[in-house]
Amino acid sequence: MAQTIDVVEMFKQAALEVDNRKLPKLTRDTVIATLGMDSVAVMELVSYFEEKLAVRIPDDDLGRIRTIGDLRDTIARLLPPGTQVAA
Amino acid sequence: MIGVVQALDGARGITDRGFTFIGARGPGEDLTLSFDQLRLDALRRASHLRAMGLAKGDRLALVIPEGEDFIPTFLAALWLGVVPVPLYPPVSLGKLDAFMDALVGILNVAQPKALVTSERVGKVLWSAVGKVTTLDRVIFTSELRADVPLIDPPSHPADDDLAFLQFTSGSTSAPKGVMVTHGNLKANSKAILHDGLQWRPGDVTVSWLPLYHDMGLIGMVLCPIVVHMPAVYIPTISFIKNATLWMETMHKHRGTLTFAPNFAYALVTRRARLEQIARWDLSSMRLFGCGAEPIHPDTIRAFLAAFAPAGLRPTALLPSYGMAEATLAMSFIRLGEQFKTDRIDQERYHADRKAAPSANGVATMEVVCCGRAFPGHELSIQDEDGRLLPDRSVGEICFRGPSVTAGYWNNPEATEAAGLGRPGGWLRTGDLGYLVEGEVYVSGRLKDILIVNGRNYYPQRIEWAVEELPGVRRGSTVVFSRPGKASEEVVVAVETRDRNPDKLRAAIVAKISEDLQLAVADVALVPPGSIPKTSSGKLQRRKTRELYLRGTLGREGARPAGAMGNRLLAAKHLAYSLVGRARHEARGLMRKLTGA
Repeated sequence: MAQTIDVVEMFKQAALEVDNRKLPKLTRDTVIATLGMDSVAVMELVSYFEEKLAVRIPDDDLGRIRTIGDLRDTIARLLPPGTQVAA
Repeated sequence: MIGVVQALDGARGITDRGFTFIGARGPGEDLTLSFDQLRLDALRRASHLRAMGLAKGDRLALVIPEGEDFIPTFLAALWLGVVPVPLYPPVSLGKLDAFMDALVGILNVAQPKALVTSERVGKVLWSAVGKVTTLDRVIFTSELRADVPLIDPPSHPADDDLAFLQFTSGSTSAPKGVMVTHGNLKANSKAILHDGLQWRPGDVTVSWLPLYHDMGLIGMVLCPIVVHMPAVYIPTISFIKNATLWMETMHKHRGTLTFAPNFAYALVTRRARLEQIARWDLSSMRLFGCGAEPIHPDTIRAFLAAFAPAGLRPTALLPSYGMAEATLAMSFIRLGEQFKTDRIDQERYHADRKAAPSANGVATMEVVCCGRAFPGHELSIQDEDGRLLPDRSVGEICFRGPSVTAGYWNNPEATEAAGLGRPGGWLRTGDLGYLVEGEVYVSGRLKDILIVNGRNYYPQRIEWAVEELPGVRRGSTVVFSRPGKASEEVVVAVETRDRNPDKLRAAIVAKISEDLQLAVADVALVPPGSIPKTSSGKLQRRKTRELYLRGTLGREGARPAGAMGNRLLAAKHLAYSLVGRARHEARGLMRKLTGA
């Protein structure tokens, strides 16, 4: 039984590993650009998701991802059909 | 030394080596263009551009993320005498608005006749295109790749001919385009290849640097073309996502040369895993150049230690100093020398503007040696009035020689202020430093600019963003940088009586992050009147920064080192500052008394 992917929780973990940053209040409405990370850290974060989930987020989509929810929706589209992704 | 166009034209028949683009054919699939193919591709694109009505002197904006499209298009323009204006493509999360604003600002200064972009990027560029009146058309890279009757190879440019416009990276309200001539390129590529790197057959360049940036474009693309040196390009975004790809590529392609800003060395040291380092063989790497932003000695030491097991030699690390106004490079340390630093007395540096070797027990500043000026060029240290200063006196670093560029495009005031546009004149770099027996040490900066991750930011834009927040008055904010381990760090100082400082701090961090994608390291909220101003009431960034670094700005200016640490640090710096001021006043008094 595959487990459910929770992008919000993964993002918290990624921010901790990549940028040593605790984000307890993160929600799907959080605008990523307001978290106080620089552009290099943000791209490292994208790469964290790509590695863990074995997906590749197209560069074109990056410019359109504003919130954690946008990121979740983009990733949900890229995962194999049937994968459980928490809302 | 021959010019870039001459070397490109002379590449006919060189089919055994060329440029390789990592992942250009899809994940894991690289594309290699021999120099012969590259020449033909450039000629094909030049034929299209001419048919489209572009002629010598016309500007051509390039917003092309793919190296395999950017490089031949850039070369095609050079060959025709059309002036390419390389611009950075949009890359990050949700930042399109800010990107468009910066792009329109640059385009309105450069006044290009056409813009070349890929279909992918073109989709989002249209809103900017409408705001630039000079722009006749948008050209897609696919149009330039199509078959076309080839024109005869155009004649080679003269040394005085304008080659391209290099806009200083980052965003500002008044972007400046450095005019690089073919003569500048010739002089600087000779300095880099022959005097600096002592280029030899068998060298292989590996680069992930952005191609619209001087170090990536001139150092890693045009220099290899001049001597037909093979090069391997990693897309910048791939490097940022996975920094170890840089090392992996050197290992796989037996690289010998690379360049990058300080932050990249910090990033790859942090990212590389022990089992990767054990697998890599970096012994082929002759040189790791480091430049484009202040070099942090600890970063370099950590990098050398981490990669020593992979065969990295300590002498391979090459500190360098340069800037777009000098085409690219001004100085390297000598080949085979180990990177070295100078430990100077911090208080004498600030108070007396002297770089005195530090005695035991005093606060020390460690400054990296960037070597001496290339043959035919000269470095000097000057005071505000242009007087030459002796060794170990701190002043503005100035540079002259054939690499000094022709000035800023359509901006005579800025050209004059930088000392450009006068043959044989001194370029005023805006950097602070000192010389020791001809070797330059870059220790600070006069100009108001922040360099974060190799990219320049103008403080005004960041200040404006902060001043848009409720509760922040106009003209109450100063932004500057402090030295950080990987790169410079952003500090914001705001005069405020706000009763909810934590909320204001959070709002400032979020605003700057959202508008400019910069991380803020510290917000200093100080009572009104704490930030130094000129007699006309303008805020003084440099003075504010100095106060901040000494821990004497307002009450909260000290670096976050724990509350107690802060107070101790502040007390120490206050003491130093009082001593310095007393010394300064004593000197003034002496001058008055002696009438000097």
